Amino acid sequence: MEQYDVVIIGGGGTGAATAYDLALRGFTVALFERGELTSGTTGRHHGQLHSGARYALGDTRIAQECMAETRILRRIAGDCLEYNQGLFLALDDPGEALTEDFVDACRAADIPATEIPPRRALELEGRINPHTRRAVLVPDGTIDAYRLAMRFFASAAARGAVIRNFTEVTSVETQGGRVTTVGIHSLRNRRDSTIKTQAVVNAGGPWADRVAALAGLDVPVTPAAGTMVAVEGRLTNMVISRLRRPSDGDIVVPQRKLSIVGSTQRRVPSPDALHPLEEEIRFLLGAADELVPGFSQQPFRAAWTAARPLAGRSDDDGRSISRDIAIVDHGKKDGVRGFFSVTGGKATTLRIMGEMAADAVAQYLGSDETSQTALFELYPYAHFWRVQ
Amino acid sequence: MIRKLSIYRGHGETGRFETFEVDLGPQATLLDALEYLRNGTVSDLVYRHSCHHGSCGTCSVRINGHEKLACLTPLESLYAGETDDDPIVPVIEPLLAFEPVADLAVDPGRLFRSIPERITHVRESEWINGKPVAPQKDSPTVHPSGIDRYERFEDCIECGSCVSACPVTARDWSAGFGSAVVKLEDGSPALMPLPDTPPFMGPAALAALHRETINKSERREELLALAAQPGGVDSCERHFECSRVCPRGVAPGKHIELLRREIREHKEA
Repeated sequence: MEQYDVVIIGGGGTGAATAYDLALRGFTVALFERGELTSGTTGRHHGQLHSGARYALGDTRIAQECMAETRILRRIAGDCLEYNQGLFLALDDPGEALTEDFVDACRAADIPATEIPPRRALELEGRINPHTRRAVLVPDGTIDAYRLAMRFFASAAARGAVIRNFTEVTSVETQGGRVTTVGIHSLRNRRDSTIKTQAVVNAGGPWADRVAALAGLDVPVTPAAGTMVAVEGRLTNMVISRLRRPSDGDIVVPQRKLSIVGSTQRRVPSPDALHPLEEEIRFLLGAADELVPGFSQQPFRAAWTAARPLAGRSDDDGRSISRDIAIVDHGKKDGVRGFFSVTGGKATTLRIMGEMAADAVAQYLGSDETSQTALFELYPYAHFWRVQ
Repeated sequence: MIRKLSIYRGHGETGRFETFEVDLGPQATLLDALEYLRNGTVSDLVYRHSCHHGSCGTCSVRINGHEKLACLTPLESLYAGETDDDPIVPVIEPLLAFEPVADLAVDPGRLFRSIPERITHVRESEWINGKPVAPQKDSPTVHPSGIDRYERFEDCIECGSCVSACPVTARDWSAGFGSAVVKLEDGSPALMPLPDTPPFMGPAALAALHRETINKSERREELLALAAQPGGVDSCERHFECSRVCPRGVAPGKHIELLRREIREHKEA
C-alpha cells in the first residue's frame, strides 16, 4: 500500500503551495486532484496581483499580507507576473473625497501608494477616463494564475511530492479518532486504491465542504460566483481600478493582448458549472467603459464565472494569522485528528496559505521545521513535466 | 438549446466515440458543454481546462479534425448550416502527437520538454495604449513608480495545437524518432522512418527558441545551434498547419522560416 506522511486533497493554488511547503520541510506528500490541476477556482481568477490597495480601507492586515506576498512572489516567481503597477482612479465626488484616506490606509499597510496628477496618469495610460479627478499609483500587477500554481507544483514535485491529477479521493478513514487512509479513484484507468497517511489537508476551495464530508466533518463554505469578461486588445499596461469602497466591476486587469474586467458577486447553491449571466456581462462592460472608455467596443473574447470560497472568518484555535485565511484543525474542533481544512485566501496569498496549512500539519506531526518557501526561487513551471 | 456532440472516450484500443446531448444557452462555449456533461450525466469525463479565457492553453482539442481551444469556441458555431434533414454532430477528439491520458485529455509534458530550459516567459511590452509600438528602450519618460519597463507575458500559451496539427510532429512524436518524405522511383511520395534521427522538435519549441534569440540576444548562438541540430528546422516540411491553427497568432511557421534564414546567414558569416 502506498504510504505518505501527508495527503493533500485539491490541486489548486492552495494545494500546490501546501504540497511544496511540506515537501521542503522533509515530509513525504501526495496530492490528489479529481480534474486537471488548477481547473477549479485558481485558473479562473481575475489575474490580479494584489498589492493590497484594494483592501487597505477595509482591512489593514489583509492589505499588509498582500503587499508582503507580492514582494515574495516577485522574488520567487517573477516570470509569472507582469509587474506593471496599478492606477486607482477617482471619477466622482465620493471617490475624490476618499483619496487622502485611501493613500493613508495604503501607507499604513506598507503599500507605497503615491498620488499623481490626473494629467500625468493620462500620459502614462492614454486610454483611461479623461475626466479622472484624482489618480493614485500602487504596485499592483498581473498574475498568470496557471503558471504560478504550476511553479509551486514543479517545486513540490522536484522535492519528491507526488502530484496526481484526474484522481478523486473517494473516502477518508479514521481509526481511534485519527486519520489512517484515504481511498482514491483514478479517472485515468478507472481503478481504485487505498493510500496510507498520517494527515490529510483539505484544500478543496469552494468544494471544501464536500471534501470534509468524506470524513464526516462540516466545513462551512459559501460559494460565491464572480464573473469576468475579457476583450481583445491590451488597452493599458497597468491594472486600472476605481477609487471607491470595493464594489462590483471596478477593476480592469490587462494580460498578454487582453483586457479583463471584473468582477461580480452572487451567492450560488453550488460551485459547479457556473455560467456568466447576460446582465453581468452587460454590467461589467459598462463599468469597464467608465474606467477605460471604449472597452466594450473591443472584440469580445470570453466571459467566465469562478466560484470563490467565502470562508468562515473565525478560526477556532486561533492559528490563522489573517482573518481572510482559515485553517481548521479538525482534531481540536471535531475530534478527527490529522485532518485539516484550509479555506479562503486569494491567488496573491497562495504561498502564505500553504505555509499556514503546513505549519499546522508539521506541528501535529511533531516537526519543528519552519517554512522555507519564501527563501528560494521556484522551479520553472515547465520543470513539472521534467520531473513527474 | 439541445445539441449533440460525438466525444472520444477512453484511450488506446478501448477508445470509442459516444454521442451526448447538452442543453445550454446561446452564449455557451464547447468547454461549457464539457462542464455540463461532467457535472451531469458523464461525471467521469476527462478533459483539461483552467482559465476559461484562452490564456492557460490547457483545453485545446480537435473539433472535426481541427485544433481549437474549447473555451473560445462558441458551441453554436459548430452547428452553422444545420437543417432538420441534415443534423450536425460535431466530433470532439484529443490532440494528436501527445501521449493520451483518457478521453479528451493528453499529457502535455512532451511539449514542455521539447522547449529548451530557461526560456523566458515574460518580456518587454510592445503594447502601449492598445496599439503595438516598437519597444522604447531609450524612452526619456521615467515611470513614477521606478519600474524601468512594462512587461508582458509571451503570446504563446503552449496549448499544443501546432504540435497536433503539424503532420511531422504528429507522426514523429508517436513513433519516437524522425522521418522523412522521399520520392520513390515512380515519383510518388513515401514516408521513410529514420530510427537514428531524433523526432522533430516541433513548431512550439522552435517558435519559443526563436523568440528567445530576440529576448536574450546573448543566447542567440547557442539557440541557433540547437535549432540547426537533427530534428530541428530541417525536419520542418513547410506545411504551415502550425500557423493556421495557432489560437494566439504566434505563427510558428514564420519563426521557423526566420530561424532557417538566420542559421544560413550565421554559417555564411
